[in-house]
Amino acid sequence: MPAETDLDPVIHAPARLRVMVTLATLRDGDNLSFTRLQELLGLTPGNLITHLRKLEDAGYVTTVKSGSGVNARTSVSLSPVGRKALESYTAVLRQLLDSAGTNGTSPH
Amino acid sequence: MLENQDMSVQEAAAVMQDAHARARKELVICAPLVYAAWGLTLLLGYGAMWLSVRGQHPYTGPSGVSIGVVLGLAALAVAAVVVIISKTVAGIDGQSARHRSIVLRTYVTGYLILLCMQIAIKSSVSTRTFAFVAFAAPLLLAGLTYILAFALGLNRMAFVLGAWLVIVGASCAWQAPATILATCALAGGGAFLLMAIINTGLRSHAS
Repeated sequence: MPAETDLDPVIHAPARLRVMVTLATLRDGDNLSFTRLQELLGLTPGNLITHLRKLEDAGYVTTVKSGSGVNARTSVSLSPVGRKALESYTAVLRQLLDSAGTNGTSPH
Repeated sequence: MLENQDMSVQEAAAVMQDAHARARKELVICAPLVYAAWGLTLLLGYGAMWLSVRGQHPYTGPSGVSIGVVLGLAALAVAAVVVIISKTVAGIDGQSARHRSIVLRTYVTGYLILLCMQIAIKSSVSTRTFAFVAFAAPLLLAGLTYILAFALGLNRMAFVLGAWLVIVGASCAWQAPATILATCALAGGGAFLLMAIINTGLRSHAS
């Protein structure tokens, strides 16, 4: 039976969890612009950068900068490692919820 | 915002559900609206043309008013679909954007070829053949385009719709002009509207 400590601490923070789930909605091979991600999550640029850096350090997301000046674009995507990590996180979370007997809320 | 605050398991599940629902709403193209736009255009547009040719003896072709209705509806549908898709895919780049571009260019090129064919063959073929090229071939082309979208992995349900449209379009090769219009309106438009209903159910289930 898993314990709460088995939840991946890199993902187990509200903002980072939302980043991971949002990026997981994209198809494999797709990426999302930093500005659209920020808009969707309602985070400040500084806050989002901090969380993305943590996820990037863990190898869960990839950020790519392209263009320059007004055409500069930073795109963010979930890496295959990140997708697997989110799947594992979801599986552990589901087991914890099942063992706690919570029926009202379940992860997708 | 307490982003680094400890989360309980229940809170984490709620965050996941909320983020998933929001991301799907914002980042996944609303297929029911797109299908409904095309379905209504086909049903009403082809329906209007069918009404205008129904009692014609001999067949002289759809009235100018009914063609105007078709063009107006098509313009509205294209505008609606462009707004829906461009709003949803803003900021998304990568493989699916490239695939969407391939699908769009394929249909536009195919349709331009059909328009050129119509002009070229108008005076040299029977009204039945011309009606097939003018009214049924665009539906057949749409079917092939949906099959291409399925093959590229853009839309998992597109194969069924594409195959059906190809069957409907091809079956018109043996029909009279008025029957072609009625077939395209009911079997073509109806299929799109059915897809809109099915996708509405799937979308609400996924949320």
